[in-house]
Amino acid sequence: MLIASSVLRTCLGDGPQTFAALLAGRDGRSPLRPGYPQQLRVAYGYQVDGPAGPYAASRWLADCARRAVAAAGVDTRNVRLACLVGTGLRELSTVEATAGEDLAGVPAHRLHFADAVRAAVPGVGDVVTIANACSASGHALALAQDMVELGDADAVLVCGTDAMTTSMLAMIGRVVDEPTERVRPFDRDRHGVLLGEGAAAVVVVPDHGRPALGRLLATGLSCDAHHETAPSPEGIVRAMRDALTRAGARPADVGLVLAHGTGTALNEPAECAALCEVLLAGGADPLVTGVKGAVGHMSGTAALANLDVALRCLATGSVPPTVGLRVPLAEAAGLRLVREEPAPLPPGLVQIDAFGFGGVNAVTLVGAP
Amino acid sequence: MTVVLVHGPGSGAPARVVGWAVHLPDADPRPADVPSVLAGLIGSACPPEQAGSVLGRKGLLYKEPATRLALLAVHAALAASPPPGAATPTYDPVAPPARAPGPVQPDTAVVACGNFGNVETVVTVARAVRAGGVREVSPLAAPNASSNVLASTIALWFGLAGPNVMVCSGALAGLDGLDIAVRLLRTGRAGRVVLAGAEPGDEVARALHAGPGDRPLRAGGACVVLERAVAPTPVPGPADLVLGADGFDPGVIWGDTYGAQGVVSLALASGAVAAGRAGRVEVSCGDEHDGYRTARVWAS
Repeated sequence: MLIASSVLRTCLGDGPQTFAALLAGRDGRSPLRPGYPQQLRVAYGYQVDGPAGPYAASRWLADCARRAVAAAGVDTRNVRLACLVGTGLRELSTVEATAGEDLAGVPAHRLHFADAVRAAVPGVGDVVTIANACSASGHALALAQDMVELGDADAVLVCGTDAMTTSMLAMIGRVVDEPTERVRPFDRDRHGVLLGEGAAAVVVVPDHGRPALGRLLATGLSCDAHHETAPSPEGIVRAMRDALTRAGARPADVGLVLAHGTGTALNEPAECAALCEVLLAGGADPLVTGVKGAVGHMSGTAALANLDVALRCLATGSVPPTVGLRVPLAEAAGLRLVREEPAPLPPGLVQIDAFGFGGVNAVTLVGAP
Repeated sequence: MTVVLVHGPGSGAPARVVGWAVHLPDADPRPADVPSVLAGLIGSACPPEQAGSVLGRKGLLYKEPATRLALLAVHAALAASPPPGAATPTYDPVAPPARAPGPVQPDTAVVACGNFGNVETVVTVARAVRAGGVREVSPLAAPNASSNVLASTIALWFGLAGPNVMVCSGALAGLDGLDIAVRLLRTGRAGRVVLAGAEPGDEVARALHAGPGDRPLRAGGACVVLERAVAPTPVPGPADLVLGADGFDPGVIWGDTYGAQGVVSLALASGAVAAGRAGRVEVSCGDEHDGYRTARVWAS
């Protein structure tokens, strides 16, 4: 399975701009746009330039989808192209914006993204929206690979998109002691998560010896079935092992981990414990880096944002540092976190972690084409 | 015993239906024009606010009506279906095992379908924050800000730790979910899949639904439990019962459960086939915006 194209849009710009900023250690944080309620207790976001407005998630998605299909050279007249969209918050920000007015102004079929994708990619087949929280596009990658391998589609356009909702910002503001200043993945003094906006799209195709950006080996899936919001190392471990088994790979084959790394009290210890149990105990000694200190938590797009960065690591041989990380947390002892400066890419596979609300885990393994 | 098979609209192989349940509160079980093959398949169903009478009260605080309806449907379907390799159901509806700490079932996946489950909470929270700031909001409502709360709550409640997928593709969600469920079985990601659908009937959901007048939104849930088909089986000839816009439309008779409608009809079809009242059923869901999809359920 190959990744024929990848398009990303973050607060830092497109994929190349985002990767350049990551290598330089820059972040795209900005004060929350005007218009959000007072007393939200969230002051910053990692926001796409310009006003968001109604249907922002659909617009960002449509732009990425159109460009990814063009870059992949897929002609929907000859290819059965299906589409899976991963999202955490759907178009709920648009519903919220009209909540004081006419709710019927948001038709039900615009809560999901079939209209947006069909307009951007004429001829596309089924478009299915998967709302799997912060690992949605990781789940979409797994289901896309299943579709192609089973022969149910010739190629799959996998997308992620999310705009910020007031309700999710409120929940983030509600649970922090002090408003979070910035996202600090794997930092001893991390103070919680902030949201990032944007979208991403990739096209996955069968391996027919064509040029590609990377090889999609496998995505492992699991659900903690443990707690509504707190992650469980046991569930994460199952997803990591599922990915390795499906890829036919050993832990020692993993050279780099693009971590989930949300900068929250609970994610980082759980993710570190799982990485130690599966990879380090399995003989691996990977580099570990995270992007959320630079682009925020992009929710349903997070896994594809990590994937775009992973493909650029494979193309350039450089691994960006973990923006926002100063002093690693104790649980990261033994993990080679990339800090302050870019590091050379070790040989081997790249592992992409994505964990979501409700304990839904997706772990993806990619390699050089 | 009749083996019930199902073939999704876009998945290239059938799966076996081993359990099913429909949960439509306040539905007339015997409306005048319902086909006799469906008689008795709609039973009495408690409303979401009385879910505790079936599920036990603990853990239901702050659970959305749609989440409760899904839990009720899954509860009934699991209580009627033995897990792989067992002759009788091991899920005890009187003492549901997953409520107590215990081993999870990594081989059972959950695919949940629906669109409006959390919209009322999202709108209420947004309004409250605008009026008075985040202190007006209970952190216990936090999981409901995320659109996958329905799927993840099923996993947590019943200890189902396989892949967990929330499908929110409008009116097609139920049969889109069927395709995903069948693929999870075919790729070996799961040995059993709980496919559930649920929608609420609150004011916010009804305003967003705003469909044609003959299909008002109604609250309801349904579940089918799927396993791998033992051997490849071709889809049989013409259907003798059609559930959907081209035949008997449960969404018109009992009200539209929108993203759950595909699962509601799959469960009804499975019940009719298992009872020997229908041999080959065509099931469709969809609307004028999202289009239509069709699945087949038959006896083997």
